[in-house]
Amino acid sequence: MSLLEVFGDSFARRALLEAVMVGGLCGAVGVHVLLRRLPFFTMALGHATFPGVVLAALLGISLFAGAAAFGAVVVVVVALLGARDRVDDTSAVGVTLSGAFALGVLLLSAQAGFSRDLTAYLVGSIITVQVGDLVTTALVGAAVLAALAALHKELVLGAFDRGGLAALGYPVLALDVVLLLLIEATVVTSIPAVGTILAVALIVAPAATARLWTERLRATMALAAVLGATSGVVGLAISLQWRVAAGATIVLVAAALFAVSLVVAPRHGLLARRPAALVPVAATRTAAGQGPTRAG
Amino acid sequence: MNLFEPFTIPYMQRALAEVLVLGALAGAVGVLVVLRRLAFVGDALTHTVFPGVVIAHLLGRSLMAGALAFGVLTAVLLTGLGSHRRVGDDAALAILLTSFFSLGVVLISRTRGFTADLTVFLFGRVLAIDRTDLVQTLVVAAVVALVLAVLHKELVLRAFDPEAAAAMGYRTRRLDLVLNLLIALVVVAAVEAVGTVLVIALIVVPAAAARLLADRVAAMTALACLLGAAGGWLGLAISYEVSVDHDLRLAAGATIVVVLVGLFLVAAAVAPLRRRLARDRVPAVAP
Amino acid sequence: MAPEPPGGPPVLALRQATVAYEREPVVEGVDGEVAAGQSVALIGPNGAGKSTLIRAVLGLVPLTGGTIQVLGRAPQAARRQVAYVPQADTLDAEFPVSALQVVLMGRYPRIGWVRRPGPADRQAAASALAQVGLAERASARFGTLSGGQRQRVLLARAIAQEPRLLLLDEPFNGVDALSQDLLLTAMGRLRSAGAAVVMATHDLGLAHLACDEVCLLNRHQIGFGPIGTTLTPELLRATYGGQALQLRGDGVIVARP
Repeated sequence: MSLLEVFGDSFARRALLEAVMVGGLCGAVGVHVLLRRLPFFTMALGHATFPGVVLAALLGISLFAGAAAFGAVVVVVVALLGARDRVDDTSAVGVTLSGAFALGVLLLSAQAGFSRDLTAYLVGSIITVQVGDLVTTALVGAAVLAALAALHKELVLGAFDRGGLAALGYPVLALDVVLLLLIEATVVTSIPAVGTILAVALIVAPAATARLWTERLRATMALAAVLGATSGVVGLAISLQWRVAAGATIVLVAAALFAVSLVVAPRHGLLARRPAALVPVAATRTAAGQGPTRAG
Repeated sequence: MNLFEPFTIPYMQRALAEVLVLGALAGAVGVLVVLRRLAFVGDALTHTVFPGVVIAHLLGRSLMAGALAFGVLTAVLLTGLGSHRRVGDDAALAILLTSFFSLGVVLISRTRGFTADLTVFLFGRVLAIDRTDLVQTLVVAAVVALVLAVLHKELVLRAFDPEAAAAMGYRTRRLDLVLNLLIALVVVAAVEAVGTVLVIALIVVPAAAARLLADRVAAMTALACLLGAAGGWLGLAISYEVSVDHDLRLAAGATIVVVLVGLFLVAAAVAPLRRRLARDRVPAVAP
Repeated sequence: MAPEPPGGPPVLALRQATVAYEREPVVEGVDGEVAAGQSVALIGPNGAGKSTLIRAVLGLVPLTGGTIQVLGRAPQAARRQVAYVPQADTLDAEFPVSALQVVLMGRYPRIGWVRRPGPADRQAAASALAQVGLAERASARFGTLSGGQRQRVLLARAIAQEPRLLLLDEPFNGVDALSQDLLLTAMGRLRSAGAAVVMATHDLGLAHLACDEVCLLNRHQIGFGPIGTTLTPELLRATYGGQALQLRGDGVIVARP
């Protein structure tokens, strides 16, 4: 079945456009997630966003508003909890997420059509996206990418050298918050396509794959966006062909690209070099130069 | 609201027995998870066990068996990866988890009743627990309790001071594997009752609450078991009463989790008071 | 203090020991012996390889060259006779264990699997705690103790192990003066009982007090011998790469360029 036939129906074409946009956006944002070592946090963010999205849908307000508000609340709660004695960060995140997630499930279960809606939020339902969703995705995506472009050098410096950034007079914390909000926006935008549980995969995998092929940052972002969009298209095509869940298939394609690159990529792949043992230490011989002496 | 009346009905009795055992079991294992900050491992397991559950369901086998197979596999994988952490491994782990999960979703999506099945696997169906499920849970609980009792001092040593443990000759990797397997077993036992997504709450929340109030591992464990069981009972009772009296369907598993988080918040509020009382009782001693 | 006359293999013997990560040597050419009752200070700047060397003696890190023998055997085979005292601030201060329970941990290798500590173990633990002056704090939670007290508890744990070789990683860092004295006394008692001690430290003055030999390290061994003849300005300069050097009483101060 040719690609043209697979995407013959209008719903499929809408889904295709959504997949391309979401994939590209996630890829680009994912590079920053990796730079700051935030995969677990992004996963948590995806989980935490869920009740906010549910609440927003139930209240009939914008999903972004609901998700953003709830995400902010979660971040604050986690920070407050983690600051207490005997509550470490992981436990704080664990408790907050469990509570938030259960709350979301409770809210949904009190409605009819529980299973269907729940599934859509959790693993996506890209084939039901409407034109309105496409417009939202396009606008949010453009805004996020524009912000990333405008703040590129500050964000990169902040990832490698927070002290240096602060020393130059930049508001480091504010920039952190901005980035977190951009990630949050990306996660929420991905929900129609891949759902909250899988959003982290589409954000992290293409970027991780791109990192295996190139070291230059801008090239990595471009490559990640391309890989993300490609995963979207291929995944969607396969899912339409075989009639399986689209979001999950997209994620599997992205993961497959990563797995293959992990093995074959020149210089960084497993075949190209031996895995590093531990933290490499560059040893230099001291100026003393003498061999070991046994005094006395 | 009557918290005892719902349990005159047989299916509620079974559900109660299940959540009491699960709550205590998860609480006990949760102590080590919280002390070692392993919540991520627990979360990982809930993602990777899912395809096992789906495959078992599609093959018409016991869900627990499917979960067990994938749970053991994951525990082994995670133990291996855990000791080689470097930059980029968080990414690899996240990708691995979501791939497993996606595999499960893809497989189940081929069937009719996709969304209903997915919901059951993710959130459980504690009210549909039958006697076989209960027996399976009891067996798992017995195994886990035995291993915990036998290896207790070594597991606590490794949690407290891994360097000293290694220096004394303990293979910390093997101890880690044992703990990961125990966590996997708890997830497996909980799959039918509360589903893979909510089980992490059973593991982490009671133990995190107990940690706030206990100064010894033994006390922490006892308290975690108690809180876990109490959460199960209260959650079931409340969800039943609300559904019946106020015609508001509340998912049982989710209610249990919300109750547990509530208990945690109470513990968090009480903890500073308790510490102040304790400090007043202990006389100042010279170094 | 004169070393005991040789009888059997030395407690610790290093022959050109080398550890490397990714083909880069981290510490190399370490060569020397420690007999029962002797103590050696491992001295060198940060990153010199002191911690790595200690881990190699514990058998936690493989050697890429040379040999290390503990009581005539490979490090992995001799672990029950070796006790390790890490820095106390690496441990979780909120962990729900009492001081006595921490000390009891030192008895675990002796107790073995499955069995629980018995009265003899508790007695040994209590006695070890008393030796570091913390008998009345036995049931205090470990984290409620001060830094110096915690370090003493960790030494008590090592004492409870009844080791032949004691390894300490910067035991005096951030420790109050009273605790320092108590640590030194307890270490001395262990040495009288025949244990050998190897101690990584920055503190040259304390090295003088506590040790009779010194091993100077800066990624490779610069000297290994009696402290009087090895802790010289010239060798110290080679170790620390410093320029100005002052000797004050029995303390030494090195000034970096």
